[in-house]
Amino acid sequence: MASDKISVSGFRHFFPTEDGPVQATGTIDLAIREGEFVTLVGPSGCGKTTLLKAIAGFIAPSEGTILCDGKPVKGPGRERGVVFQELAILPWRTVRRNIAHGLEIAGASKAVRESTVARLVDLMGLAGFEDRYPHELSGGMRQRVAVARTWAADPEIILMDEPFAAVDAMTRLTLQEELGRLCATTGKTVFFITHSVDEAVFLADRVLVMTKRPGTIKAVLEVPRHGSGGRDWDSFTADPEMRNISEQVMHLVHAERGAR
Amino acid sequence: MTWVPERLVWRVLPAAPAAVLLAVWAIYWWIERPPPSTIPSIAAVVWIYGEQLLNGLLVADIAASLARLLGGAALGIVTGIAAGFVAGLHRPTAEFFNPLVTFFNAISGIVWLPLVIGWLGVGTALATFLIWNTVFFIVFQNTVLGVQLVPEVLELSVRTLGASRWETLKSVTLPGALPYILTGIRSGLGFGWRALIAAELVGANTGLGHMIFSGAEYHRADIIVAGCLAIGVIALAMDRWLLVPVERRTVRRWGLVTEARGN
Repeated sequence: MASDKISVSGFRHFFPTEDGPVQATGTIDLAIREGEFVTLVGPSGCGKTTLLKAIAGFIAPSEGTILCDGKPVKGPGRERGVVFQELAILPWRTVRRNIAHGLEIAGASKAVRESTVARLVDLMGLAGFEDRYPHELSGGMRQRVAVARTWAADPEIILMDEPFAAVDAMTRLTLQEELGRLCATTGKTVFFITHSVDEAVFLADRVLVMTKRPGTIKAVLEVPRHGSGGRDWDSFTADPEMRNISEQVMHLVHAERGAR
Repeated sequence: MTWVPERLVWRVLPAAPAAVLLAVWAIYWWIERPPPSTIPSIAAVVWIYGEQLLNGLLVADIAASLARLLGGAALGIVTGIAAGFVAGLHRPTAEFFNPLVTFFNAISGIVWLPLVIGWLGVGTALATFLIWNTVFFIVFQNTVLGVQLVPEVLELSVRTLGASRWETLKSVTLPGALPYILTGIRSGLGFGWRALIAAELVGANTGLGHMIFSGAEYHRADIIVAGCLAIGVIALAMDRWLLVPVERRTVRRWGLVTEARGN
C-alpha cells in the first residue's frame, strides 16, 4: 500500500548461539499507516523487541524486508526515533541539552532549540528541571526527558520499547495520558511495544497480539477513537466498548501462556 | 561549647597525619641526635630550602622536573587515550595488539633505562621516553575498559537522533569513558613521577631527581629529604588543584561517580 509508513514483509529473525541459530520470531507481516498509533503486546521472549530493533535498524533481519516510506531500512536514522525501556538519556547532559540534542545534531539555530525545548518541557511537565542532570531526577522524570528528546528531534516515526515499564504505577498512568495527548497534537506514527494489555489498548489505534516464541502476529484489533485528543483513564475505564476490547486482548494474551 | 562545623573539620583533618609525622621526626631527632648523613633535622631541611631558593637551584630543579613530567605525561595521556579508543571500539584490533601490550606493559617504564640511556643520552629525551612509556600503558588500559563499558543503548539512542559516528564518539563515548580515563591519568601521573625521578637520578644534570642524586654523592641526607618532600608536595598539589577539580566538574557532577558512602 502506498500510504504505509512502515511495511514489514516476510520478516523472520534468528540469533546465532554456540548451539546453532535460535529462532527469535516466526514470519511477521505488518503495515503501519502514517499517523497511526500501533501497539504490540505479547509474552516476554516472543521477539517483539527483536522486531522493533529491526525496524529501528539496530539489527539486520535474517529474512524478509523492512521498508520505511518505501525505502529499505539500512541502519538507524533520524526519521525513526526510539524511546528505550532503560535509561538512555545522556547522564552528562542537562535535561535541556538532552532534549535539544537531536536539534543540535541537525544544526538548528539556538532560537529554534530554545523554543522547542520550552514547548516540550511544558508538555511533559518538566518545568523547573531544565538545568538538572538525569541522576538528580526520578525514574519517571527521566523517561519524560527521553520522550521529549525523541519528539524534539522531530522524527516521522517513533518506536517505543516498553518505555514506562520501569516507572511506578501512578506515574505510568500520567505518562500514558501525556503520551496520548502528545501524539494527538503532533500526529506522529508510533509503534509501541508493551506487555501491559491496558496500556496497549489505551494508547492504540490498533493493537497487535503476538504468540509466544517464535512469535507471529496472531490477532489485530482496531480501537476506535471518539473525538480528537488523547484518551484519559477515567473515561477509558468507564467506556464498555474499551473494556470489551481489553478483555478480548486479555483472552488472546492469556491463551499464549501455558506450554512454555 | 562551640561546635566547629563538621565540614571544616574534615577539610583540615587530612593534614593531621602529616603533622604527626613531622612531630615524630622532630622528637626522634631531638632525643636520638642521629648522624646528619642518615636522618637530617627539620631545621637542616628548611635551611636547604632557604639556601636553594636563594641561589635559584630549587626553582630550576622543580621547573626542569615539571617540564619533563608534563611533557612525557601529556604525550602518554594523548597517545594512551587515542590508542585506547581504537582498541576499545574495535575488538579485533584489541585482540591483535593484546600480546604486544601485555609484553611491553610488563617491561614498561624504568626497565628501559639501562638500554635507552645509551640511545638517548642523559637529559630530557630520556626522561620523556620513560614517562611516556609508563603513563601510556596505564592510560591505555583504563581507556579501553572505559570505552567498552559505555552502555550500548546510549550510543544507539544518539544514533537515532541522527548522530554521525564522530558525533557519537564525541557526545557519548568520550564522556562515558571519562571516569576511567581520569583514573588512568591519576595513577599514570603517580607512576610518571617515579619514572621521572629514576631517569633524573642517573640521566640528568638538573631536576629534583638530580638534586637527590647529588645529595647522595656527598652523603647529604638533608638535600635528599628536601628533594623527596618537594616531589610529594608537588604531586599532592597537582592532584588536588588540577585533577580533583576536573573530576568534580565532570564525572561527579554527572553522577557517574558517587560520593563515598557515609559521611
